[in-house]
Amino acid sequence: MADIVARNVRKIYNPDKRYPVLAIDEVSLEVRENEFVAIVGPSGCGKSTLLYMVAGFLDLTAGEIKVNGKPVEAPGPDRGIVFQHFALFPWKTVLRNVTYGLEEQKIPKAEREKIARKHIDMVKLTGFEHHYPSQLSGGMKQRVAIARTLAFDPEVLLMDEPFGALDAQTRGVMQEELLSIWSKRKKTVLFVTHDVREAVYLADRVVIMTARPGRIKEIVDTKFAGYKSTEEVLESAAFAQKTHQIWKSVREEVDKAGPLDG
Amino acid sequence: MAVSDTQAVAATGRSGGLAVPSPLVILKKYYSVLLLIIVWEVVARLNLVTPFLLPSVSSILKGVYKATLEADLIRDTALTTYRALLSFCVALVIAVPIGISMARIRVIHWFFDPIVSIGFPTPKISFLPIFILWFGLFDRPKIFLATLACTFPIVTATYLGTMGVDKYLLWSARNMGTSENSLLRKVIFPATLPQVLNGAQIAMPISIIVVIVSEMLMGGGGLGNYIMVAQRFADSVSVFAGLLVISVLGYLLQKILEKVRALVLHWHEETQHESK
Ligand SMILES: Nc1ncnc2c1ncn2[C@@H]1O[C@H](COP(=O)(O)OP(=O)(O)OP(=O)(O)O)[C@@H](O)[C@H]1O
Ligand SMILES: [Mg+2]
Repeated sequence: MADIVARNVRKIYNPDKRYPVLAIDEVSLEVRENEFVAIVGPSGCGKSTLLYMVAGFLDLTAGEIKVNGKPVEAPGPDRGIVFQHFALFPWKTVLRNVTYGLEEQKIPKAEREKIARKHIDMVKLTGFEHHYPSQLSGGMKQRVAIARTLAFDPEVLLMDEPFGALDAQTRGVMQEELLSIWSKRKKTVLFVTHDVREAVYLADRVVIMTARPGRIKEIVDTKFAGYKSTEEVLESAAFAQKTHQIWKSVREEVDKAGPLDG
Repeated sequence: MAVSDTQAVAATGRSGGLAVPSPLVILKKYYSVLLLIIVWEVVARLNLVTPFLLPSVSSILKGVYKATLEADLIRDTALTTYRALLSFCVALVIAVPIGISMARIRVIHWFFDPIVSIGFPTPKISFLPIFILWFGLFDRPKIFLATLACTFPIVTATYLGTMGVDKYLLWSARNMGTSENSLLRKVIFPATLPQVLNGAQIAMPISIIVVIVSEMLMGGGGLGNYIMVAQRFADSVSVFAGLLVISVLGYLLQKILEKVRALVLHWHEETQHESK
């Protein structure tokens, strides 16, 4: 169980070079234990950058990030990440990609095969265990990446547009699976998406970021209590209203970014 | 009949890199070489040039057969193969660690980078006189020289490959708990393998060239020496016989390397045969 606290985080890429990029500025955010927080914002506003800093891949230029009370220093399997571009090992089969994290955690062979197969089944890829990534479609690779990260059961889940390459129907199935895992195994989730409906539907809170340099523009509560089913939530007036509000807010930022600032 | 034959050819042609192709397929692939041989044979038989300048293909094949019975061609072929392969393997063992560490360790890069940029374009065969001085006359100078020549393309390819390893692969391994020390074995090496093999495929013919040229220049047996001796005795059939063996040897070694590549990189996009 873990919480994430970011304070006055700033990230400048290539600070000593000719073209430094201020990617993120003054970002402060608290994600409570077991909370599901989604981040939305225009392309290039620093969503991936923020995730990479929580994961421990990038140094901060200023500020601090604490996970579970401890400052982030290096990457570790307590914070599992699903990359925007999958990052599967091309020389390993689907099964070996999924067992990799379990092997690093010294889980016995029989046990890790069992866990891996369960997760491959969950992302509907049974039958493709022995395929290589080069033999899979984009959406299939993305599902392997999801299975791989969920398999080693990290306390914190960092997901960078994890359903971006999926068709609407598969996306729906994956969303349900993610929610059911999240409710069963209670994880803290930081979830980047371009799909505002998805953010509103999945998350407890949605963080809207400004155009680059990314700052936090506003945080919207999106917990819907008292509904009996998914359908009921999705069809409710409250859901439509929140979605519209967030969509408009993001749209403003996209317009601000303009074509030349890309 | 003709139609089903071509279909059969098409089917075997598509069945992938590791199956042994039928004679028909080989014929189809190399018909230009075959044509050349036929023209050669005709020209030689018509006595358009003297047999000394251009012996007929059939007499060359006979020459190869005769020389094989006398065992000296076999010995020289074995000697050249041994020298070329040994140099190639030693170069691989030396060059891959250098290439990887150049990409990973600053001091090593600082040390080797200028050496590689100056040494790569230098024709290594020009070191032969010095190598003879240092290492004597028989196997050692030839093997050392060919090793040196092979090292450069493999170092360069490995270095560039290692530099180009997708950072997200490294990140995702570290994310799953891989320690800094095992990244090399678990991620960097497999990810660099395609480029290492590129370098190896460039190095293999270089190895054969350097070995044969040094055999030509300094004797001590081998196919290069075989040709030079035959030429001295004005035995043009044997010269061409030697040439034939050299080109077959070069071709076979390159083919073997291609098969090894297809086996080792069975996971790679290039090995998936579904297209076309
Ligand atoms: N390695 C890098 N070097 C220099 N600048 C970078 C680097 N990575 C990202 N940036 C810059 O930082 C900014 C934020 O990038 P980031 O990838 O975090 O955006 P994002 O919000 O994830 O965008 P998208 O929605 O398109 O994935 C961009 O403007 C980009 O130009
Ligand atoms: Mg991104």
